[in-house]
Amino acid sequence: MSPRIPISTEVKSLEMTKSQSVMSRLLRLLPLLLGSMLIASCASGRIDPTDPVGDNAKQIDGIMRLSGYMAAAVGLFVAGAVITAIVKFRERPTDDPNELPKQIHGNRKAELTWTLIPVFMLVFLAIVTIPTVFDLSSKSDGRTIKVEGQQWWWQFSYDVDEDGVSDIVTANEIVIPVGEEINLDIRSNDVIHSFWIPQLNGKRDAVPGRVHSWRISSPVPGIFYGECTEFCGLSHANMQMRAVVLTDEDYDEWVREQLTPANIPAAAAAKSGYDLFGRHCVSCHVINGVYESAADGNANLTSGYAPNLTHLMTRTSFAGAIFELYEEDGSVNIADLKEWIRNAPGQKPSRPENRQGMISFAETLSDKELDDLVTYLMTLGGPPPLMPS
Amino acid sequence: MAITEERPEILELESGDTSTSTGAFARPTNASGWRAWVFTVDHKKIGIMYGAVAMFWFLWGGVEALLIRAQLFTPDGTVLTAEQYNQIFTMHGTTMVFLVIMPLAAAFANYIVPLQIGARDVAFPRMNALGLWIFVFAGIFLNLSWFLGGGPDGGWFAYAPNTGVTYSPGAGMDFYALGLQIAGIASLVGAINLIVTVLNMRAPGMTLLRMPVFTWMIFVVQLLLLFALPVITVALILLSFDRTFDANFFNVAMGADPLLWQHLFWIFGHPEVYILILPSFGIVSETLPVFSRKPLFGYSVIVISGAAIGFMGWGVWAHHMFVSGLGPVGVAAFSATTMFIAVPTGVKILNWIATMWGGNLKFTVPMMFSISLVSMFTIGGLSGVMHSVAPADTQQTDTYFIVAHFHYVLFGGALMGLFAGMYYWWPKAFGYKLNESLGKWHFWILLVGFNMTFGPMHIVGLQGMARRHSRYGPEDGFDFWNAVVTIGAFVILIGMIVFAVNIVRTWLGYKAGTVPQEPADPWDGRTIEWAIPCPTPEHNFDYVPVITDVDDFWHKKYQPDENGKLRKVADGNEIAQKGDQNPHLPSPSYWPIVLASALPLIALGLIYNLWISGIGLLLLLGAMYGWSLEPATDPDAGHGDHADEHGPDDDDSPGDEASEITEEAPVV
Repeated sequence: MSPRIPISTEVKSLEMTKSQSVMSRLLRLLPLLLGSMLIASCASGRIDPTDPVGDNAKQIDGIMRLSGYMAAAVGLFVAGAVITAIVKFRERPTDDPNELPKQIHGNRKAELTWTLIPVFMLVFLAIVTIPTVFDLSSKSDGRTIKVEGQQWWWQFSYDVDEDGVSDIVTANEIVIPVGEEINLDIRSNDVIHSFWIPQLNGKRDAVPGRVHSWRISSPVPGIFYGECTEFCGLSHANMQMRAVVLTDEDYDEWVREQLTPANIPAAAAAKSGYDLFGRHCVSCHVINGVYESAADGNANLTSGYAPNLTHLMTRTSFAGAIFELYEEDGSVNIADLKEWIRNAPGQKPSRPENRQGMISFAETLSDKELDDLVTYLMTLGGPPPLMPS
Repeated sequence: MAITEERPEILELESGDTSTSTGAFARPTNASGWRAWVFTVDHKKIGIMYGAVAMFWFLWGGVEALLIRAQLFTPDGTVLTAEQYNQIFTMHGTTMVFLVIMPLAAAFANYIVPLQIGARDVAFPRMNALGLWIFVFAGIFLNLSWFLGGGPDGGWFAYAPNTGVTYSPGAGMDFYALGLQIAGIASLVGAINLIVTVLNMRAPGMTLLRMPVFTWMIFVVQLLLLFALPVITVALILLSFDRTFDANFFNVAMGADPLLWQHLFWIFGHPEVYILILPSFGIVSETLPVFSRKPLFGYSVIVISGAAIGFMGWGVWAHHMFVSGLGPVGVAAFSATTMFIAVPTGVKILNWIATMWGGNLKFTVPMMFSISLVSMFTIGGLSGVMHSVAPADTQQTDTYFIVAHFHYVLFGGALMGLFAGMYYWWPKAFGYKLNESLGKWHFWILLVGFNMTFGPMHIVGLQGMARRHSRYGPEDGFDFWNAVVTIGAFVILIGMIVFAVNIVRTWLGYKAGTVPQEPADPWDGRTIEWAIPCPTPEHNFDYVPVITDVDDFWHKKYQPDENGKLRKVADGNEIAQKGDQNPHLPSPSYWPIVLASALPLIALGLIYNLWISGIGLLLLLGAMYGWSLEPATDPDAGHGDHADEHGPDDDDSPGDEASEITEEAPVV
């Protein structure tokens, strides 16, 4: 044993200098690190719960910050205690190895104190939390929109005349009037999804066989982004949504347009596209007024539904809101749209052979036919009332 | 328990002969080489094998993690397809929970608990081996899916109905459902074994409130396992029936409510979190006092709060379901219970700090890992309190904020504690310490890598980055932190490589004689596993000590002098047992591994062809038959004469055991 001791102390001292130099280098890097952190934390994206807009989201944000500050305070206290203990009570070379530190087996008073302080803090947090839970679960007296999740897109249905039958069926983008607390009836047509537009409210699961109530609202017009947040299979990452908040005037105009059925186009290319649509697309897709055979569901998809395309061009996105329908200059994003129709499974992971997602038409449709189809689709309403900025 | 010391006459065999007509029922001799491991019933070898196999799966689960991080290094990553990504994150979670942390805890439980309570083995040594081999086969079975059409793709939480055949047509989820049922049997067998061991086989004088905290926490965990595993087993059986026999447990069209799965899963799943973390709480409750040279602050409070966590852990499961439509009353109730489970956990943290406070801290590697548990777990615990605020959770759940939270709990907490345990008990298991310098490199690199990986996840999570997404877009603004996270994950890899180098180098050094053999008590330990030589002799204890105190061994070394001041009165290495006795030990057995091997066959048959199940079933029945007729001891073991000196066998009554030991144990 004895010959080892000098070696081990040597290793120790060597290591101390090593770790010290690493330390000092790290310290010199610190400003750089902090600087980049600052830049990065400013660069938040378009889905940002830390920048709430809707009343519900703001209410949640407040309580989240409160809990965060409480957690941070406790965390700093614990960190301080640990660091103090490490620094103050570390073994020093001068310590007598036979001298024991004071042997304390516990202290009922201290333990009671640090049991009761957290209890009080948590009672306070519970008192703040519980009313908020009930607040957020209540229904508003605003209108109700039906929200349906299915692999891998969202459908929104509006019962404008309140006769129990949906009058407007749209996809990916929920359009709401500004300032109104909208009730959502959230459902699913296949697996569990979760509806989340973080700037307007927290999330709520769409569970098959159940109807979940939730609310969204925004005091300002604009487009707010969201995505599915309950793992729903292959293309879970590609199931996004948008909330388009319109002024009352724009909203009424939007409703009026959506209630108008489509017509048969007159121009040759569009007419050819219309015919092709009738041959290849109508077993899944609905266009009100002209192709309604799949309106009550279809057997080609496990969920039974594909997006209703009646007013496709009034939307800003397609295919689960993962592609922009318009370029920045306002022209239609023909390239992506065409590629999507040609080979959807190549654009977005899906499993059409298992009735999950749109099939590929790469073998079925010629380039000219694809052009005609796109030309036809471009006749379906539009442009959108609000464009992404 | 049928207790018989007499072997049935008909099974008497000649020494070592296993080829006679009754040979199928003979026990293997205490063979050397691989047989010594495969047929062993020794809790120490079983513990080491649990650890080794778990570390193998840790490597594999780590590779899965790195693949996930490689995919998310940049927006629109192309390293993996969505299909591969979903399979890999499913198996990363499943592997780390069921094949890494649980068996690592089982490794320590198996190896250390008998030593801490003064037992020569666990209550049922063959069942112990059975548990190990079932776990081994379950791991192989789960991962067979990679070679048979792709891994499970429904997430480790496997929410119905996405895991039904309609939505997950491959065999992956079958492997998941059946594999976890098999793994569950392993844990259940182990749990029962350890509960009986702890209750019945403690050394004389070791009352429950003199039991080391590690043993206490393992005991609580085994009770949790005992009650939690049946719940997930039920859920998995329902899932298997749905998938294999077209049952309708989760078929919404037939009136099922998919939330049934979530309730069942999380009634298991939340106690499971405590199953994963409490062993590490136990480990640091051992190491912090040793390296602070102070007793644990508030032993009874730590024990009671551990038990309280175990109890309250049953009342919080629905906090995983705050957005799944429970209704406000349910949400409010579970929000409150979840907040209050933070109390016993917080008490533990503060008691650990109080243990260090005023001590004389030695920053050995196990101490460093222990302190990092105290601090890193606290971060995970505090973000957990943030989730308990249900409205806030509607923004946080299923984002990376949650991923950050539970990695701080399970990596910063459970794994850091397990690493502390490895460095701490390595000499007890192998006879030498791991290298402290390399250990410190391992620690610091791991700590930096860990915080680099999981710290920024808090930020992107709050910014709205959702979990389980195989991609994010350039427009989402998540690029910077995801790049940092991925780099951090590779820093963790470097840390683990240092650990592997440490293991190999010290082992080679030990064989070459440059790494010294450690004496019985290298750390100035407090509990009785340090009163026996390093490495632990095969029979553990020459004689079973009589326990008079918490931290009994320490009190043998330090006693008050005439002024009441504590003085070192004995050197631990000198008063330790010599390990030179040769008592009777349970003999090895063929049957545990044979029985265990039948289970994956049965499961494979359920997926592919019921005839395979038939073969598996025959093997299972044969193994049970062989097991039940196996002679109580290996005829060649040669200790039959020392009837008054035998150790625990699976046919032994632990009660008898204790009384005999009391007679023979000298007062130290």
